[in-house]
Amino acid sequence: MLPAPSMQETQTIESPSIPSRSSTSTQDRSSTAGQTSSTAPQPSKPTPIIPPLAKSTGPGSGSVVRRMRRIIAEDAEWSLAIVPLLTELCIQHIVKNFQNNPILKQLLPEHQKKVLNHLSPDLPLAVTANLIDDESYWRRCCTQRWPVCHVDNHGGSWKRMFFELHLENLLKHFIPNTTDPAVILNLLPLCRNYVRAIRVDQFLPPVQLPAPPRGGDQSDSGSEGEMEEPAMDHYQLDNLVAGLSHLEELDLVYGVKDCGMNFEWNLFLFTYRDCHSLAATVKACHTLKIFRLTRSKVDDDKARILIRSLLDHPALEELDLSHNLIGDRGARAAAKLLSHSRLRVLNLANNQVRAPGAHSLAHALGHNSNLISLNLRLNCIEDEGGQALAHALHTNKCLTTLHLGGNELSEPTATLLSQVLTINTTLTSINLSCNHIGLDGGKQLLEGMSDNKTLLEFDLRLSDIAQESEYLIGQALCANREAARQRALNPSHLMSPVTAKGPESPVG
Amino acid sequence: MNPPGSLGVLEEKEEEHLATPILGPSVHSDNPQERIQARRLRIAARLEARRREALGEYLDGKKESEEDQSKSYKQKEESRLKLAKLLLCGTELVTNIQVAADIREIHRRIEEEEIKRQRLEKLENEVKTSQDKFDEITIKWEEGKQRRIPQELWEMLNAQQVHCAGLIEDKNKLISELQQELKMKDDQYVKDLKKQSDDICLLLERMEEQVKNVMKTFRQELQNIEKAFEVERQELLTSNKKKWERALQAHNAKELEYLMNRIKKVEDYEKQLNKQRVWDCEEYNTIKIKLEQDVQILEQQLQQMKATYQLNQEKLEYNFQVLKKRDEESTVIKSQQKRKINRLHDVLNNLRSKYNKQVKQFQEENQSLTLDYKRLVLQFKELQKAMRHFALIDDKQFREIWLMNEEEAKDLINRAFDVDRIINTHHLGLPWMAPNFWFLKNVGPISQRQQKSTTQILEEVLMEAEEEGADQDSSESESYLDLPKQVSARTTRKILMLLCDESGFLIESKLLSLLLPLERSECYLLRLDAVFSALGIENEDDLYKLVNFFLKYQTHHSPSSQGLLGASEVAEGCARRLKGLRVLGGPDHGYPCHHPEPLGCSVYSLGEIPPCPDPEG
Repeated sequence: MLPAPSMQETQTIESPSIPSRSSTSTQDRSSTAGQTSSTAPQPSKPTPIIPPLAKSTGPGSGSVVRRMRRIIAEDAEWSLAIVPLLTELCIQHIVKNFQNNPILKQLLPEHQKKVLNHLSPDLPLAVTANLIDDESYWRRCCTQRWPVCHVDNHGGSWKRMFFELHLENLLKHFIPNTTDPAVILNLLPLCRNYVRAIRVDQFLPPVQLPAPPRGGDQSDSGSEGEMEEPAMDHYQLDNLVAGLSHLEELDLVYGVKDCGMNFEWNLFLFTYRDCHSLAATVKACHTLKIFRLTRSKVDDDKARILIRSLLDHPALEELDLSHNLIGDRGARAAAKLLSHSRLRVLNLANNQVRAPGAHSLAHALGHNSNLISLNLRLNCIEDEGGQALAHALHTNKCLTTLHLGGNELSEPTATLLSQVLTINTTLTSINLSCNHIGLDGGKQLLEGMSDNKTLLEFDLRLSDIAQESEYLIGQALCANREAARQRALNPSHLMSPVTAKGPESPVG
Repeated sequence: MNPPGSLGVLEEKEEEHLATPILGPSVHSDNPQERIQARRLRIAARLEARRREALGEYLDGKKESEEDQSKSYKQKEESRLKLAKLLLCGTELVTNIQVAADIREIHRRIEEEEIKRQRLEKLENEVKTSQDKFDEITIKWEEGKQRRIPQELWEMLNAQQVHCAGLIEDKNKLISELQQELKMKDDQYVKDLKKQSDDICLLLERMEEQVKNVMKTFRQELQNIEKAFEVERQELLTSNKKKWERALQAHNAKELEYLMNRIKKVEDYEKQLNKQRVWDCEEYNTIKIKLEQDVQILEQQLQQMKATYQLNQEKLEYNFQVLKKRDEESTVIKSQQKRKINRLHDVLNNLRSKYNKQVKQFQEENQSLTLDYKRLVLQFKELQKAMRHFALIDDKQFREIWLMNEEEAKDLINRAFDVDRIINTHHLGLPWMAPNFWFLKNVGPISQRQQKSTTQILEEVLMEAEEEGADQDSSESESYLDLPKQVSARTTRKILMLLCDESGFLIESKLLSLLLPLERSECYLLRLDAVFSALGIENEDDLYKLVNFFLKYQTHHSPSSQGLLGASEVAEGCARRLKGLRVLGGPDHGYPCHHPEPLGCSVYSLGEIPPCPDPEG
């Protein structure tokens, strides 16, 4: 113990100067900040350090009160590393006052990163929306708000995802005539550059104060539609869509989710005014690529109104009107759309298309060179329509996916399709499940398959085919898949069956 | 060097290094033959290796790599197939629910349609029957109006009421039925909802299960693949390690061997060095002794040389003095000579100028003389012509006079004859015979001598020459020919003899053979005759022309044609000319120049050549 003090003494003479010198050096380093801020941490440094030092040294040598200054520096744990850098303090300050005084762009990149890491996700969007592009910040925002986040569905961008989900949330819970439309329109300038897709699976109808009169009429939706159409209009998208300059996808369901036993028919009303306004909206949006309107009771007339507005649309590639009430006239309109647009995917699943509609679709298909995928699941085109489509496939050289599940098809269609299979080299996927193909039809399809080298999927479940032929068709498909894999050389096609069936499974 | 295949795995170079010391000659051997052998072998081995690398090794390597790959590749392929199957089956399993729901929906729709149709039918039937009933009731109302009896009316009203009640009951029944149906539908709806939620639950379950399965199998397959790769890597590592170790061992062994070799060599060299050192020492000593001896000898020689040097120096000095004296003398002589030369040069120059003057003078003289000569020759020719002319004229005159005299004589003769006849017949009565004298018929002068033929001339010439050969001093003026005077008879004879000697080709061989036994002069004569007949020379003039031709030729070709021609020179010219003729005529005996014209032509063409200038120039 004895030699220690002498050591301390020798050190103490010079020690006080060291921290001061270092502190000045730090000051110099962070001199960009004001003089006032630099002086602020200065006093705070010695004050918290003194008491522990005094305590620790107190019992050792109480008599050396005179040498307090010297003892301060003797704390073994003290070092410059403990002292927070001025930049840190500045950053903390900026983070604390970000809402009132957002400073970000002026900072150095490393400091920007730090600031962003410490920003709270609850800051008002008006501040952050156009200022912050950092993905990690928006990731924090997203994960905080929603437990499940599939960033892949939003182009891999967390910011886009945040705004899309945010907007979707607002739209879902928007109640016409009660909610203030400014809520959405105020958001528009903030999100207009980031939102590319609107996927809304429910639109709430306006709240009806006089409930009783509708109670009796609820069984007949048609009369009710006429009566209360003006009152039952949903939110009009036109202003919103016009404001979004990068909108590419519109996925709408005019209906109410989770109504449970409070079911009422008029919760699911897609009125003519809705339809007209939607048609105008879609027509005005030239960037739109994907338009989905499902489960919304779209009948022939409404479908015609919508499709008329979509004729010669410059960008539209996918049209999905599944789970509606579209009949032959709507199908005819869709066929017209096929020849007047660059549509690549058409989905009319679960509608009421019958043979005439299928005829017109087949006619359009025969001359079309854009359409890749056609889905007519759960319609009733029957053999007549099936044969027409098969004839059209003789000339079509573009279609790769055809879904004719649940269409009451039988052997004649199968015969024609087997002929198509021998000729066609573009089709990769056909679905004939839930039809009455029969044993002979199965055999004919097998014959057709034996000459085909391109088909990768051929769904024949529950279509009354002999197991043997189904198995053999499966073998042929396997061989085709192997060949395709060899051709492609990249293993991506392995994933194709999954992706192809991906969108169907959640719908079912 | 083809080592056994066990080393095939090793790299070629290593193999080579290994193989060379083991078998065959070494490159580091002492024997140069062996070294050459070794190098040759090495080159051959390198070529062989390259070839093998190009063909076999490449294939081997490929095969090997394929085998190597196959393990992991097989695993990968297996896993891929398995996973694909799993995915396919899983998706099918999941979508099975959807398909099942679809088909249920289809069935439901069909049933619904059927039920709807039945219901509609039923309702229509109901409407019809109820309408009938209603009509019946309304008709009865009409009937009731006509009823006046209250009893009846009441009865009827009752009946109507019963009917109406029946109708209403029917309707109510229908309504209740429909309501029941509706309730059933509601139940059905609830059931469907439940069913659907079940389905969705099942679907979710399956999906989850599928996801789990897929993840599990993917992980497993990944592990398998990794394991396969690991195993392969291990194998590769071990094999490589083994290879490496083997190579290292080989390398060590070789290194050791090299070391041993080196040590041995070092020893060898040391020995050799020692030997060399001893030998060098000895040699050095001997050479030293020899050199010392040489030095002594050389010193002696040096002394000798010095002595001779002094001697020579003295001699040379003496010689030098002598030469100096001589030199002085020679300079004196030289000056004298020089003076002499100068004088002589002056003389020479004078003489030369004189000579030139004389030459000029002579030339002028010569020219004037030649001109004179030419003029004289011309005059002479003209004189000759005139003479000939006069001779002809004289001849003519002579002839004419002769003829005149002859006529006169003949007249006189004829008078004489007449007189004689008259005398004879009239006076003598004797038959008179006219005397026949040769001169009576003669006309013209009686020529003394006929024109000589060439042969005669030749004969004469030859004879003359022979005579001349006898006495040399006979005058040439006797020559009958008016040949140029410079041609002596001898020359002529020589020419003719030459002619007949040289132009044998013009004579027929038969004649030659006949002429052989004859006398010389006779033979010449005959030969010349034949030659002249061949050349077409018949009379004197022709012969003259011929000779002239020869002479002209001679003058043209010989520069020294002035003055008298030597006989030999003329003969020579003739011979040359004849040779030219022979060349022209060839061996043909029927040579076409029977006439002198071609000869003349050739003469003129030759005559065009200007005479050579005087060599004196």
